[in-house]
Amino acid sequence: MPDNDLSSDEPVLRLDRVGLSYGAESDVLADVSLSLLPGSMTFLTGPSGAGKSTLLRLAYLALRPTSGRVSLFGADTSRLRRRDLAPLRRRIGVVFQEFRLLDHLSAYDNVALPLQVLGRPEASYRQDVVDLLNWVGLGDRLHARPATLSGGEKQRVAIARAVVVKPDLIIADEPTGNVDEDMAERLYHLFRELNRRLRTTILIATHDLALVRRARSDVLRLADGMVVRVPPETREGQT
Amino acid sequence: MSRSASLLPREDAREAALFFVVCALCFLAVLSGLVARAAYAAAGAWTSEVAGEMTIRVRGTEAEASRALAVIEKTQGISFAHALTRAESEDLLKPWLGAAGIPAGLQLPHLIAAEGSTGAGDAITVALRFAGIDAIVDDHKAWSADARRATDTIGLVALSAVVLLGATGIAVIAFATHATLLARHDIVELLHLTGAKDDFIAGLFERRFLMLGVQAGALGALLAFGAASFILFAARQADAQAWLLPQLALSLADGLILGLSPLIAGGAAMLAANVTVKRSLSDMV
Repeated sequence: MPDNDLSSDEPVLRLDRVGLSYGAESDVLADVSLSLLPGSMTFLTGPSGAGKSTLLRLAYLALRPTSGRVSLFGADTSRLRRRDLAPLRRRIGVVFQEFRLLDHLSAYDNVALPLQVLGRPEASYRQDVVDLLNWVGLGDRLHARPATLSGGEKQRVAIARAVVVKPDLIIADEPTGNVDEDMAERLYHLFRELNRRLRTTILIATHDLALVRRARSDVLRLADGMVVRVPPETREGQT
Repeated sequence: MSRSASLLPREDAREAALFFVVCALCFLAVLSGLVARAAYAAAGAWTSEVAGEMTIRVRGTEAEASRALAVIEKTQGISFAHALTRAESEDLLKPWLGAAGIPAGLQLPHLIAAEGSTGAGDAITVALRFAGIDAIVDDHKAWSADARRATDTIGLVALSAVVLLGATGIAVIAFATHATLLARHDIVELLHLTGAKDDFIAGLFERRFLMLGVQAGALGALLAFGAASFILFAARQADAQAWLLPQLALSLADGLILGLSPLIAGGAAMLAANVTVKRSLSDMV
């Protein structure tokens, strides 16, 4: 089991020459190397179909690479037994592109789901979940089921669910994809707050170039199965 | 907001279908089980009914019959002996010769009904032969053996049906549970990615399907008991030979059949849920 405390220069997530292909098809990812330091906030950009979501799936342990190595919190995941991956997953908050809210649960219960998985009694987290939903502007939608929520509201519930356990790493796949510009800005500030206040490491895959340009964060570009770091001075043209 | 909401949705149409399947299979299995048990019980009742009863047919005169009665009464192990009157003999023949009666001149065999311990029939045969009386002793041994063979066969057929239905039921429950769970794959995957351990996820489904199996099984078992009772009651009302029908009484064996079926159904569904979820999870990283 990896230690919870990382030294300041130990990457939270590290991919070494990672490749991924499905069967005989050409590589989705050819040779990807990257590392995210604790407390960093990084955007992942690239054209549609470049494999951003696939890369994120590798990072949140939904996939195994066909080559290379994925390390999380200092642990080489290829060397871990299946059952030892669950504690690592508990340290990651994921905002899925398609939200993945449970339709039979209210907004409140969807947000509380990771806490239920941890086995915490409801009394210990009730107020935290309510506060968090207030924070994302859904204080009046606690009991609403996903079917009655707009795309933007679902997105905010999904984000609240990802951050509720105050994870060490947040991975978000197009978290502003279904919201207007104002809400996108608000959500960005939410991530920024988590990053600054709790030193949560954040990796966001996005198409929202305006957001990327405004942010003073690291930007990675995925294209042709490889990741390159985009220097601030060249972002205007490349992202 | 809820107190720790169930992470699984309440039952939907798929689970209603599974409930029906489990209920129907339990109904059939319990019905067969009750029939098998009742058939065995009936065989016992029929043979015990005639055990110790004997009919002695005396060939000869009225005086010979009276002598035979005296010999029989003195034979060891005999508790009761009675020479049938002509009217009683005519009653016995009525089912074959009709109610019009038997011609007055027709000679009827002299019959003596006797009751005694097992083996008394052989003692009577010896005593009558020793007294020089020509008589045939029928202690229903052959009939009892035939009845036992017939009911054993019925019981075995019903028991085979129970075993076959039970095995089929478990397989169908497992299959239906598997199909129902496949539709819940999204929940399984989400919980997995949220950091839930395999046992936690499997436990959610196990509890759900255990309850479903037990409830459906209990309903099926109760319906089967009701159906069996109704069928036998209706048969008794319609048939003069009702005593031949098996009896349903809430005996320990019936209670076991009724009580175990829902537990077996619940256990099968729970096991199927465990295997399906764990297999589904093992396909994930």
